[in-house]
Amino acid sequence: MKRKNLFLLLLMVLTVTAASALVSAQGTKVFTLFWGEPLPDYPGSTIVGDIIEKETGVKLIREGLVGDLETKVGLMIASGDLPDMLIAAHFTSLFKDAGMLIPLNDLVEKHAPNIKRLYAKHWEQLKQEDGNVYWLPIQAIPYGPDEAKYPELGFFINKKVLKEAGWPRIKTLDQYFELIENYMKKHPTLNGGKTIGYLTLFDSWRNFATTNVPQHLLGYPNEGEFVPVLENGKYVVRQYHTSNAAYAYYKKLNEMYNKGVVDKETFVMNYDQYIEKISSGRVLGTFNQYWQVQEAQEILLRDDPESILVPFPVVLDELIEEYQRDIPYIQATQGMSITTACKDPVGAIKFLDYIIREETQHLIQWGIKGVHYEVDENGLFYRTEEQKKLFLDPDWRRDVFGGPYFYNSFPSLRGIDQNGNSFMPDRQPNLIYSDSQPSEKEVMDAYGIKAFTELYNKPTREKKYYPLWTITIPAGSAAHIEQTRMKDVLNAYVPRMVMSKPKNFDKVWAEYVKAISPLMKEQIKVYQEQIDWRMENW
Amino acid sequence: MNTPVTPDVPVETIPSRKKSFWRTLLHQKALLLMSLPFVIHVIIFKYVPIWGWTLAFQNYWPGKKFFEQAWVGFENFRWLFRDPIFYQVLRNTLAMSIIQLVFGMTSSIILALIINEVRLVFFKKTAQTISYLPHFISWVVAAILGRDALSTDGGIVNEILMKLHIIKEPIMFLGIPKLFWWIIGASYVWKEVGWGAIIYLAAIASVDPNLYEAATIDGAGRLRRIWHVTIPSIQPIIVIILVMNMGFLLSSGFEQQYLLQNGRVIDYARVFTIYELDYGIKMMRYSFATAVGIFRSVVSLVLVFATNYIAKRLGQERLL
Repeated sequence: MKRKNLFLLLLMVLTVTAASALVSAQGTKVFTLFWGEPLPDYPGSTIVGDIIEKETGVKLIREGLVGDLETKVGLMIASGDLPDMLIAAHFTSLFKDAGMLIPLNDLVEKHAPNIKRLYAKHWEQLKQEDGNVYWLPIQAIPYGPDEAKYPELGFFINKKVLKEAGWPRIKTLDQYFELIENYMKKHPTLNGGKTIGYLTLFDSWRNFATTNVPQHLLGYPNEGEFVPVLENGKYVVRQYHTSNAAYAYYKKLNEMYNKGVVDKETFVMNYDQYIEKISSGRVLGTFNQYWQVQEAQEILLRDDPESILVPFPVVLDELIEEYQRDIPYIQATQGMSITTACKDPVGAIKFLDYIIREETQHLIQWGIKGVHYEVDENGLFYRTEEQKKLFLDPDWRRDVFGGPYFYNSFPSLRGIDQNGNSFMPDRQPNLIYSDSQPSEKEVMDAYGIKAFTELYNKPTREKKYYPLWTITIPAGSAAHIEQTRMKDVLNAYVPRMVMSKPKNFDKVWAEYVKAISPLMKEQIKVYQEQIDWRMENW
Repeated sequence: MNTPVTPDVPVETIPSRKKSFWRTLLHQKALLLMSLPFVIHVIIFKYVPIWGWTLAFQNYWPGKKFFEQAWVGFENFRWLFRDPIFYQVLRNTLAMSIIQLVFGMTSSIILALIINEVRLVFFKKTAQTISYLPHFISWVVAAILGRDALSTDGGIVNEILMKLHIIKEPIMFLGIPKLFWWIIGASYVWKEVGWGAIIYLAAIASVDPNLYEAATIDGAGRLRRIWHVTIPSIQPIIVIILVMNMGFLLSSGFEQQYLLQNGRVIDYARVFTIYELDYGIKMMRYSFATAVGIFRSVVSLVLVFATNYIAKRLGQERLL
């Protein structure tokens, strides 16, 4: 690192000068942008992109993520090579700590009336310790919350399994695996390949799809690594990695692994392989958050609709009441930010202000009126069969329509607006069911529901702090080192526990408990402080 | 130039050291000028960045000026030596480096000897080209090939072993911690064997053919000739390459381990570079990462000098 520093600095100076030269040459404004997700390069021209470029005169040069976000962020900060705007998931705050982001308060006050109006409800939550706001999170909820077709997370099961078993409602982990095991015995091969009973994703930072599960088995929504538990009227941060739920969960996975139900490769495959396997329709079950399997689900809907994934709120024990669904919240600790490298912060905030206003949001999420959606006599938006069909193709939506290039990671709106329309087309009330695919409808009809979320309890518990995972631990602190060590232990031991011989499981479990137990104290301290702060100030 | 020259003594052997130095300097001015750019290059890119070592004694935080940084003395080093993972990392790095060094060098030497013995020029050229082609594949691609080859879901290694009835069930090679070092070693040999052989082939080409003729007349067969003529002739090259490689023992490998590792084998896969990344750069502990880098540099220096010294004592060729 140290040896490259000088060189990187030089490179940075060169690129910065090159970029600013571009601005004056063309008359349009050019902003460079980094976003922490792997989206292919912008195709150059899309339906949505061209309109935005014409109306704002702003051209974006995007840099997407290649490889590991945490590494990329570390290198960006070390080299000081910054784009004009950036968002890097929950690592965004590291840039603020390094003094590389500019406060937005004054800019918003003077130049961005739409941002001011639409983020008003969240503004207090966005303020950092110094009273400044540094980023604008995705999916602000300016009016009321919406209802979704799919829940945030669940134990997903292949539709074929449910159909053959006569549409059972799955409640516990044992029932879930019993169904999968039985189906697998009857159908050892599917779609020309070996049937894969259960997949669990363990690829670098995405491994929370495996390690987060014990909290959900206890009925909690996604809180992160720790769970605040209400004790005597106060939220106390507790760990679940060595809970009885964790024991039961890993033991079950171990049993299923040795029976050949859990895929042998599950701990060495990466995210692409995971999506590929599910898209093949051979996978019977997987736990995950919906956004991580959405891509596979969309491919299945298009290519193999009989193998789509259906989510269930699985818990450890019939007695546990589940509240796995999210209370609508805003990801207050991450968002689009403007860096100190930006030569024209006013132009940047004006561009973001343009992106967030309702008209643009309708364009990005719904499309052009009369072309991509229609309005009925009550002023409600809907899509015709033909229009729906267009949007079902994820490739068309991304490369031709172009909405995702201005939606993912950008400030955006969700929820129901004043006219009763949802900002997200797939969350338009009353249309969730009727807009679903025949294959989805068949499942919903079988269970007598109008959305898969109805398989879950309503998230009624009021938690002001929610959720814990949006709290960022200070970089390089004792808690941060402890967290890395804890993740190392999870990385090393979870595969060992699952892949050991059943008779050795208890031995490995004891080793794991011994290794992980001393690595939580500092983190709990930080989280507790922050939870208390949020309960007081939010 | 000022001292008078005694006519009966040749200029070159005048015992005045200083004079001879300046004279040589003048004499070789063209060569010196030619090497100047490289000296400047080394100073800028190898010596100036040593200034960055000051980071190791600070609690560096980006965005602050040099004099505003907090100075912490040897705290980062103390942290390093107290970290239990450090010893694991040291073990892994040394183990994998030594495996790569030993197997990489011997396989290259053997390949060079074999290729040298082949008479058919066309076959010789083809074999050499094929063997060094993998060198030009990036580790990103090589790791994907490796993952696919070792996969349990139709990977070629498992398929072959199963067809030969050596194993019944596919083995998940990449999931066995103890095997990881050897997978690294094997994939390294596959990728670098041909490339490494080039230098030995060049050395072999410069062996005096008279030596072979003499050996043949003395009744030596092919193996005898390799053993008594070829190997002793390329021995100096082998020693020099060994000394040079010793310097890389602690810095070997990043992409290879990083791309082939997974959670299951992390205890055996983590090398210094990955450790610096995970516990240094990713956590914004730049000072700590620098401290680890310094430790590696110092150990490498000691290793190079030690090997060089041993080689010298054994009467071998040496680098310095």
